[in-house]
Amino acid sequence: MVIPLAEKQNFLVPNATFFVELLAFVLLFYLLARYVIPPINKAMTARQEAIRKEFADAEEAKSKANQAEEEFRAQIADARHEAARIREDAREQGAQIIAEMREQAQSEAARIVENGHAQVQAERQQAVASLRAEVGTLATTLAGRIVGESLEDDERSARVVDRFLADLDTIETSEAAAK
Amino acid sequence: MSVALAPLKAEIEIGNHVERHLFGLTFNIDTIWSTAIAGGLVLLLGFLARRALTKNPEDHVPTKLQLFWETIVDQVNKQVEENLGRVHPYVAPLAVSLFFFILFCNWLELLPTEINHSLHLTPAPTADTNLTYALALVTMISVWAYGIRQQGLGGYLGHFFANGPLLAPLNILEELIKPVTLALRLFGNIFAGGIMLSLIGLIPLYILWAPNLLWKAFDMAIGGIQAFIFALLTVLYFSMAAGHGEEHDEHEEQHEHTPQPAAA
Repeated sequence: MVIPLAEKQNFLVPNATFFVELLAFVLLFYLLARYVIPPINKAMTARQEAIRKEFADAEEAKSKANQAEEEFRAQIADARHEAARIREDAREQGAQIIAEMREQAQSEAARIVENGHAQVQAERQQAVASLRAEVGTLATTLAGRIVGESLEDDERSARVVDRFLADLDTIETSEAAAK
Repeated sequence: MSVALAPLKAEIEIGNHVERHLFGLTFNIDTIWSTAIAGGLVLLLGFLARRALTKNPEDHVPTKLQLFWETIVDQVNKQVEENLGRVHPYVAPLAVSLFFFILFCNWLELLPTEINHSLHLTPAPTADTNLTYALALVTMISVWAYGIRQQGLGGYLGHFFANGPLLAPLNILEELIKPVTLALRLFGNIFAGGIMLSLIGLIPLYILWAPNLLWKAFDMAIGGIQAFIFALLTVLYFSMAAGHGEEHDEHEEQHEHTPQPAAA
């Protein structure tokens, strides 16, 4: 240690304070490096991690929401489509049913009318036949009663009745033609 | 003016410390005292921040104090990572400690605690070479140890001969001067600031506040810059010791001396 002149110390030359300062700084450095800086670093890393995770989560949630919305839209569109299809089907089916029913009803009606005609025809035929059979005997019996036994001859009477009926027929047809 | 300046010579004494002598050793009590205050403040803030962030690790919302620490720690980490390739678990805390400690030491000077012209209760301890030499010694011994661990003793010493044996003495001299410049740069800046403050203190009271205010604001900036420079140089010296410091300023030499360590 150089001490220039008198007792005054050169301030560029260190003295024993140096060791105190050395110790003080080493102690400070040790305490900071051991107890203060590592938790700060840890906290910074943890926060960065947390923020990164938050962002990733948000991103994921957003994409999920978008996906769900898309799905929802697709389903809605599907449902609309389905509804339109069903409505169309129903309309077609209805029209078909109506057409079928109408056809059925017409044929039924035609059949009923046909039946009626046939029955009327048959009954008329029957009536004509029975009339033909009965009117002769009835008329001859009646005429015999009036005229007496002269008309006992069957063959002759049948001929007369037939002629009469034939006349009647001609009158009928001429009347129908006149009408 | 010359009349007013006349008493200045008598009143200002440079580099005087409150000394105590113990076992034949001299201790600058004022430096030790203000070192304790600055160091205590740094530790107090540090442990307050630690308490805030260890109280509830799940709560990721930082307090303001925590943010203050994190800003510095983050900057230093970035600087260290840029220069050393990773956040070195020794270098980064060292640089952070140096920065905070020097910053608080420098700013202590600004507290208006001068009882009279010869007694300042909180002089900047960095205005005493004892502290700056100690800081530089811790830094440089760490740097050398790091360099030797990184490149091996042979590799580290061979590094001085990288540019040929002629330049080796210069390289070695540079390495030895590093701690001295580191210490004296800090000391000189803060010491000068202190002298300026005591000179300003001699100005009559009614006008004193103006230059005082200006200078203190300026001195605060100087204090911050010096703390920053000290921490930054520390990181750069580490980077140089690791053998990849030259990349930044001497590109041609890099090519020349890359095969050299293998030969050496």
